[in-house]
Amino acid sequence: MNKRSALLAFGLRKLAGAVPLILGVTLVSFVLTVHFGPDQTYALLGKNPTAAEIEQVRAQLGYDQPFVLRYADYLKRLATLDLGHAQATGEPVRSMLARTIPVSLLLLAPGFVLGTLLALILAALAAWYRGSLLDRVISGASVVGMSLSFVVILVGLQAVFGVWLGWFPVRGWSVAGVADYLHHVAVPTLAFIVATLGYNTRFFRAVLAAEMTSEQVRSARAFGIGPLRIMTVHVIGNSLLPIVTRILFSLPLLVISGSLLIESHFGIPGVGRITYAAVMSGDQPVLMAVVGLSAVLFVIAVTVADLLCRLIDPRLAST
Amino acid sequence: MFIRQTRALICLLLLLSTACGGGADPEGTVYRHAIDGVPGSLDPAHAADVYASTLVVNIFDTLYRYRYLARPYELAPNLAEDFPEVSEDGRVFTIRLRAARFADDPAFADGRGRPVTAADVVFSLRRHFDPATRSQGAWLWRDRIVGLDAWGRDGADPQAEVAGLQALDDRTVRIELTRPYPQLVNTLAMALSAIVPPEAVAHYGREFSVRPVGSGPFQLLSLDETRAVLKPNAHFDREPLDLTAEGFDPDRHGHYGLEALDGRRYPFLDRLEVHFIAEPATRWNSFFSGRDVDNVMLPPEQAVRVLESTHPLVFRPQIERDFQTHVGRETGLVLYGFNMANPEIGYHADPERDRANHALRCAIRDAFDWAARNRVFYQGLGEVFPGVIPPFLDEYEPDLPTESIDHDPALARQRLADHGWTAEQLPVLVYGLESSVERRQMFEQFRAQLAAIGYPPEKIRRAAFGSFGEYHRAIINGQVDLFLLGWTLAYPDAQYSLQLFFGPNAAPGANLFNYANPEFDEAFRRAEPLPQGPERSALYRDLNRLVLDDCAMIGSLTRTRVHLWHPRVRMLPDREVLGGYFLRFVDVQEPPA
Amino acid sequence: MSSLVVQSGRRLRGRLAGEPVGFLALIVVGAYALVACGVWLGWWGSEWSALAGPGWAAPSAEHWLGTNRLGQDILARALAATATAFEIGVLVAVVTTAIGGLAGGLSGYFSDGWPDEVLLWLMGTLDAIPFYLLVAALAFALHGHPWAMHLAMIATFWTTTARLVRAETQRIRRLPFIEAARVAGLLPRSIIVRHILPNTAHILLVQATLVFIAAIKVEVVLSFLGIGTQDSISWGVMIAEGAQDILAGQYGNFVVASLFLFGLVMAFSLFADQLQDSLDPRTQDSRWQPHG
Repeated sequence: MNKRSALLAFGLRKLAGAVPLILGVTLVSFVLTVHFGPDQTYALLGKNPTAAEIEQVRAQLGYDQPFVLRYADYLKRLATLDLGHAQATGEPVRSMLARTIPVSLLLLAPGFVLGTLLALILAALAAWYRGSLLDRVISGASVVGMSLSFVVILVGLQAVFGVWLGWFPVRGWSVAGVADYLHHVAVPTLAFIVATLGYNTRFFRAVLAAEMTSEQVRSARAFGIGPLRIMTVHVIGNSLLPIVTRILFSLPLLVISGSLLIESHFGIPGVGRITYAAVMSGDQPVLMAVVGLSAVLFVIAVTVADLLCRLIDPRLAST
Repeated sequence: MFIRQTRALICLLLLLSTACGGGADPEGTVYRHAIDGVPGSLDPAHAADVYASTLVVNIFDTLYRYRYLARPYELAPNLAEDFPEVSEDGRVFTIRLRAARFADDPAFADGRGRPVTAADVVFSLRRHFDPATRSQGAWLWRDRIVGLDAWGRDGADPQAEVAGLQALDDRTVRIELTRPYPQLVNTLAMALSAIVPPEAVAHYGREFSVRPVGSGPFQLLSLDETRAVLKPNAHFDREPLDLTAEGFDPDRHGHYGLEALDGRRYPFLDRLEVHFIAEPATRWNSFFSGRDVDNVMLPPEQAVRVLESTHPLVFRPQIERDFQTHVGRETGLVLYGFNMANPEIGYHADPERDRANHALRCAIRDAFDWAARNRVFYQGLGEVFPGVIPPFLDEYEPDLPTESIDHDPALARQRLADHGWTAEQLPVLVYGLESSVERRQMFEQFRAQLAAIGYPPEKIRRAAFGSFGEYHRAIINGQVDLFLLGWTLAYPDAQYSLQLFFGPNAAPGANLFNYANPEFDEAFRRAEPLPQGPERSALYRDLNRLVLDDCAMIGSLTRTRVHLWHPRVRMLPDREVLGGYFLRFVDVQEPPA
Repeated sequence: MSSLVVQSGRRLRGRLAGEPVGFLALIVVGAYALVACGVWLGWWGSEWSALAGPGWAAPSAEHWLGTNRLGQDILARALAATATAFEIGVLVAVVTTAIGGLAGGLSGYFSDGWPDEVLLWLMGTLDAIPFYLLVAALAFALHGHPWAMHLAMIATFWTTTARLVRAETQRIRRLPFIEAARVAGLLPRSIIVRHILPNTAHILLVQATLVFIAAIKVEVVLSFLGIGTQDSISWGVMIAEGAQDILAGQYGNFVVASLFLFGLVMAFSLFADQLQDSLDPRTQDSRWQPHG
């Protein structure tokens, strides 16, 4: 078997192995939302409902069906990508996702990219000058960053930039043009960077500092190769595996968890906001679609990370 | 090198950010209206709250509406040509429609909106009784229109006729009631009664709630969780705005620049945006920064920043200079209710315990300090009044004794002592609340005030609920003993708030208190068929006193609405009585320099 | 075996004495712990919900840090919230470490057996559900339950500890003394509890400190979202209140609660760093996602 087909087989095996995982994720979520989640009935009733009307609404929400049937029905729909309609608004879940996911991606992409780059640069500086004052300052600042609560960052940045200085809109979303987009994305991006920079820098610094002591880097330095080249080619190049893995793993979580707070605080119509609203109101179709989707993304990320491991480090292929 | 790049990037960002502030709107006149909540569904059959109503009455037509400026509120024909012809016995209403057209939409055969007919009116009211509609408004007409309830029970056959709801011809609707219902015309001015085209309901199915099609002044362009964008409905054709008929009073409305709109055809805007901003801080910031929205309904916390004094209400000079202002009362009330069905604090079979429970409820009422509630949470801008007939109604009794809303801890202790209540004997009270910072603070305030009359704090248990639906369910199921209730009158008639105590409305109905007083029910029934007048007002006032005497509730407070908007907007915003009709009369003009 | 624990304890003491930052951090954490003890003993902070004065009063001799909107003393609330933070942090950290340790030990000892399969599946499942979604759904599911939030955090945090312990167990399992214990006929249960887990103490200790920090930060977010602590005061509740106060130009509540929170988290983080450096320099930092 040649290497490529071996990799392909490995990838397929991985994906097949993910079926129990997806079943598990949906089962746990389904139990939580069905058995413990908020009951939507009373949010959908008029001011003076009768017992008969309550029964009708419950029946339409499927609350009168046994759990097993509901779960089986959900799995069937998930497999056929029929995501149903939001209970509260009647909007198809698929169109909700199509509308909100691009917003979340646009919202978080700048912060994610800039934050990762900035963290890499700071980490490289700290790792290069390991033990120096600069290293101590960067490392210290990372701990400070990690100690700041996301909530405090959000409230604080909004107060400073939106209200006090008045430079940016404090709320809302618009992508009418590049300027408009940058205008709206600025404060959320800043908030995202502040919240993640400490964690990222610290992680990258640890990885890069370990690599700095490697044989290859030491000999490169001995040969008088320039610091920038050593850093980018040898140090970062050799640490690609943990760096890429980290980025890959943060992606699925980023789309939902990461944007939940930012979106609800800045009034941005992204997927985090609709998800949170669905949790609070018990809008099961929305919730289950998001959970299913993120589980699939998670599985893909894990599989890709594994494949990359094998590509980058063939030694792992034997295990 | 890196630093230089960053600096360049920051410069670029700053440049762009200053470049797009201000400037002329390319799309013509745009008004960006902020409301403090998100509408759930835009299907009129679900439009029971003010957020959905705001949009629904502008996308759809209702038969009647309220005059723009006249106060007290006055009904006016909208899609109806005139007020209904009413039979002698008050049971048959005949309503003529004016010519109107639905907005263009793919749901119609050729994509072009067709004329609105009487059959559409029949369809729109009838569908409330079709279980599949999941109507939130059926209760308004339940048991009142001949044959309608039975039609719904018998399978809601679209072909079947309903004797009491018929289209006589294309433009005439006949409604036959089972008994006189003077509030019928009021219900036909509610968003719930708006007229929908059957084609669109069928075409969009469940999605009709996000793809509304109607014959109102505006048409929906886009909708998400943060805003709705509307454009004028090209087919909307009404006679021009007649300010005098709308109740224009130069003394009260002279400085709003409305005269310029007189005699013009509405809607005036090229684009209407309705922004949903639930967070008070962001709502204020969006307005005050001058960039995001054109109006704000003042969050009470903001009062300190815009008001010179609250009594009398005077704005700061800078606010008066920069903005238009309007101060009005909400057409609703906030009150605390007891669950009277709980024998621990409500009705009890044993007459002596019943009296003790009555004393306990009255003591809790005396312990509660409305003035402090008003000061802390409404900046003193609310008005506290006894009972449930708020001051904006004709039936309001200004000289009703105020002991039910006076803070009197000494009397409260006395009442407890007189009926042998000791700290050990006092029952555990479950205080229900929706999870939010403010509701939580209100709870802490209430508990501290009860502690002051010797009610042990550990006996006031907090039950928090994540959503209004959950909270509502807990109240209906009797899981909470004490709850805060906001009640907005959907029409200006005390019957709407007194129904909260009508026995047959007991939970799951609107009588969340499970108040059961045969004397009340009898008088309420007597008032039902009466038209507005002294006889009915006297009955309403008796009803109000009955509730007060029984200490079934603690209240009430009616909030003051302070509206600010940018002077280039010509309007008088008023969302009360679950409305949003004013939006069709809004125009944006730069004021003369 | 246990000599490892003693050894690492000695190493820790040596390292901490030599590191002023870690030492200082420990003192700050100690000060917070004292504050919390004072609250538990009723020395201060017990009047956190009393309406003690006028609303939004400026700092004064009576109210050192002023009052909030209702007229409650901000200092009393911040102090009482310190106790709440410790209650949440300690409870979540201890239970998470216990569950994570046991699950990790089991899974690592029986790796390639069915307990491992099941546990790995469970961990994968919990990790694949977006963090806040799971916590919010759990907190909601158990709403009204006083420990709802704690349980939600434990349910999501234990997997990290378990994974680290699992890896370490797999390594230890091959060491001769475990082999000897097995030959001597000890049951797997006692091997795991008496021989393996004590040797993962360094991981457990570091993880416990990290979970402590994460729990406090997540509490703030949950309280801000309205699904946090029930009937008690916490920094999260204060920050949520403070965010509204800012509207009225009142910053006291927000600033005080944020600083209290920041101080404890910062000190504890530095302490955790020292702990990790001295006990477990090999294991990679598990703090790689900002949860709060």
